[in-house]
Amino acid sequence: MLRGTLFAACLLAGLWQLGGAAWLLAKAELAQYLIAAAWEEKLSSGESVEPWPWADTRPVAKLQLADREPLMVLAGGSGQALAFGPGMLPASGEPGEARTTAIAAHRDTHFTGLDQLQPGAPIRLQDGRGRWHHYRVMETRVVNSERERLPVFAEPGLLLVTCYPFGAVDPGGPLRYLVYAEYLPGGPPVQL
Amino acid sequence: MNRALFSGQRVPRDLLVLPTEEYYRRRYRGSRRGRWLLFVVTVLAVVLAAVGARAEEGAAAGSGGVTLNDVEAGDLLFAGGGEGRYLPAVHLASKAQVSVRGLVAEVTLKQEFANRSDQWREAVYALPLPENAAVAGLEIRVGERRIVGKVREREKAQQIYKAARKAGKRAALLEQQRPNLFTNKVANIAPGETVQVQVRYLQPVRYDGGTFSLRLPTTLTPRYIPGEVIPDAQTELAADSSGWALPTDRVPDAHKITPFMWIPPVESTLGGSAKLPGAAPGRFMQPAAERSAGGSHRISIDVELDGGLPLADISSPYHAIDFDKRSDGRYAVRLKHGSAVMDRDFALQWRPRTSAMPRAALFTQKSPQAGDGDEASTYLQLLLLPPDAGRNVRRLPREVVYVIDTSGSMGGNSIRQAKESLLLALSRLQPGDRFNVIEFNSDTRAFFPRPVAAEKQHIQHARDRVEGLRASGGTEMAPALRLALSQQLPGDNSLVRQVVFITDGAVGNERALFELIHGQLQQARLFTVGIGSAPNGHFMRKAAQFGRGASITIGDLGEVQEQMQALFAKLENPLVTDLQLTWPRGLKVDAYPKRLPDLYRGEPVQLVARIDGGSLKGEVALRGRLAGRQFRRSLLLKESGDGSGRGIGSVWARARIESLRDRQLEVGEHSEAGRELRQQILQLALDHQLASPYTSFVAVEEEVVRPRGEGVSKSPVPNAVARGQVLQTQAYPPTAAGLYAQLLTAAGLLGLAGLLCRGRLLKGRLLRRLRELLRRVVPDPRRARRPLERGLVRGH
Repeated sequence: MLRGTLFAACLLAGLWQLGGAAWLLAKAELAQYLIAAAWEEKLSSGESVEPWPWADTRPVAKLQLADREPLMVLAGGSGQALAFGPGMLPASGEPGEARTTAIAAHRDTHFTGLDQLQPGAPIRLQDGRGRWHHYRVMETRVVNSERERLPVFAEPGLLLVTCYPFGAVDPGGPLRYLVYAEYLPGGPPVQL
Repeated sequence: MNRALFSGQRVPRDLLVLPTEEYYRRRYRGSRRGRWLLFVVTVLAVVLAAVGARAEEGAAAGSGGVTLNDVEAGDLLFAGGGEGRYLPAVHLASKAQVSVRGLVAEVTLKQEFANRSDQWREAVYALPLPENAAVAGLEIRVGERRIVGKVREREKAQQIYKAARKAGKRAALLEQQRPNLFTNKVANIAPGETVQVQVRYLQPVRYDGGTFSLRLPTTLTPRYIPGEVIPDAQTELAADSSGWALPTDRVPDAHKITPFMWIPPVESTLGGSAKLPGAAPGRFMQPAAERSAGGSHRISIDVELDGGLPLADISSPYHAIDFDKRSDGRYAVRLKHGSAVMDRDFALQWRPRTSAMPRAALFTQKSPQAGDGDEASTYLQLLLLPPDAGRNVRRLPREVVYVIDTSGSMGGNSIRQAKESLLLALSRLQPGDRFNVIEFNSDTRAFFPRPVAAEKQHIQHARDRVEGLRASGGTEMAPALRLALSQQLPGDNSLVRQVVFITDGAVGNERALFELIHGQLQQARLFTVGIGSAPNGHFMRKAAQFGRGASITIGDLGEVQEQMQALFAKLENPLVTDLQLTWPRGLKVDAYPKRLPDLYRGEPVQLVARIDGGSLKGEVALRGRLAGRQFRRSLLLKESGDGSGRGIGSVWARARIESLRDRQLEVGEHSEAGRELRQQILQLALDHQLASPYTSFVAVEEEVVRPRGEGVSKSPVPNAVARGQVLQTQAYPPTAAGLYAQLLTAAGLLGLAGLLCRGRLLKGRLLRRLRELLRRVVPDPRRARRPLERGLVRGH
């Protein structure tokens, strides 16, 4: 009897956890498609379009790391925003502005494999007006978020933030992995 | 922490609160209940740690660039451009020369900004100063050249500075952001060059309970910025950003009062001293770049004490100091190890011999310029001690509301100090008293809906909750203050009402809070307990002033007992009230504070005045009331010679500015009356050449030094993280969805389910396998054939 109950409880809890994980992944993938569509529409019409009717966030930029699939960047660094895509932190500047642009994402969804980005790798960022900004990875670094603040400076630049270590189980660790990319003002302008 | 004890132990050992057996019993009570839970958690933790460690190894190896060393390292500064090396571009060294004469300390703060990069730089530094400093001078020194700064109206000074910066001239600007926080900008520092900026200020010495004291802040606790970010502020900011926060509707100048923070290396010179666990940033957290960059953010302090009194004791609670008495009766004090990291306030206390304890002191200064009439005006500084009520006074029942700040900035040692103070205060309650405790960070929570009687079970309940407090979240102070000040039922005046506010004061909206206290105080009195290595002294003092209470500061766990005793003496002893000062006829006196506040035990009457219309003679009389009795004290007015009253003019002007600012708070800054007051402050500051909210110092060199083709980039010089504090995590968002944890839990649970389902079968099969395995591996002595094996068997 006890064994049966335990079995059922374990099975249910296990399935629930598995479902949760699947839901997280699905949300992260699916939202990107919807947001990408909204982004294209915004670029062509010039008006801000919500990716889905009840969305509490909006896309602010499109990020392409080296030659990977482009990612849609959302406004804010809240948990809700980060579930759907990388978030542009409130303290950061717009792309191309004289203030560091800081983008954070989950290490286990959108920024998986951020550690494979080597110095010198190109990064592109498209702003709300369709202009592409070019960056080049300069350095990567691990910091302790309990002791330091986000290094945002009055210079254009791109800072990618994700959790560290990449494969760790505990989601609440204090370490962060930073990728700093310098701004290339003379980058080739790409028209859409 | 490190304490300087050279004139006997300052706190007798039997007075120290040491944990008793009861304490430990309470703390570890219920551990038996949790033993099973502990077992389960340990097993889980071991499994998780094993998996996590493996994952970490993989990641570190895979990323190539990240070594173990880098994981330990952390650095705040990205040097702009260059090769992308993370080095602080501008190096800072400070030297403070303090000269105490009479009741005024004159401080010359020399700060050297060394450009270690190969580009032209503009250094931007948030300069913390004492909350009552009258900033009276700014000078730049480059090599032998000396450029003296002048006071200009704030906007004008900014224009002058910007023009000089653009033109390539060396320039410095000193702007007041808060009375205790200034911004110091130095433009056009050549590559490899060092520019010295000298700031001169005057500060009245504090006298309380028989001890003189002086405080010199060297860094600040990051202020919490409440309110909503102003949306279009971002574009404007980009050009002029040196802070980590954006302007909000409640703190429009947030970006100016939130400098970047930097973790200084651990002081090796004090290596022998005992460290509390987690007190200082451990060796593992020491930023690597700083180990090599070394020596930035250090201050050396020299104090010359000329109090005119034989001293019994000179001490500094947070630094090790050396002092010697010179032949002319002055004392020279300096830091024991030459210099110290700028990560905590420097405090100096000196106590006259009991026989020489002053009851009154008077210092004067002739105004350098002629006054309104024919005669020059005189500035005067006065200290008068009211009588002491003695020991046998009736203790009135009190209603005390304790408010404790548990925001993120209180993390580390601060929360420990705060909790220890609060527990001590709770143990001090007597039957007949009423009390309540309010805890606040982003939210406000009261332990009891209304103040309750100080009975054993209530106090115990409060103690238990206090021990469980943790520091995290924002510092939404206004709701907590409102709740604390509205705890009393209207019409109930039978109890003495007191609010004790325990906080580090790390907020950006100080003035709004003062307004709140001023408006809602009613019959209560507000006492502030400043916590931590670098509390916001401005908030502490002004909140207590508007709250008609007093303020103490606790910067170290070892100080809790002593400082709280001083607070209890103030809370429990009768006040000196109805104070009035009568000046001789014919003198026109403009004295500050305008209205003498009620005095708590040990506090003297302290004022600065400007006197016109005649020479100083006659006597000044002080009348007041203490414990139901009238008293009168008088003091003969006469001029003090020998320049002992130097700087009183500036101190007076500073006190007058503060008084005008307080009135501005009542009438509103943007009303007509408020604008008129602004004009008065501006004129006063220009006349006395002082920095103020409306005036700044600016110094510009005539010569153009930067070549045309080269640009200048801005380098925010960070402030050191205050000792024992933990930086808040708010800047970094959590960036892991917890996918792995979920997947792992799922796998574990499903595996367990499978095991439960087929457990018995599995067990049988496993046992059989094991038996077979054993049979194959372990030799059977019964079937031993080989000689060697046989021998072995026989041997047994």
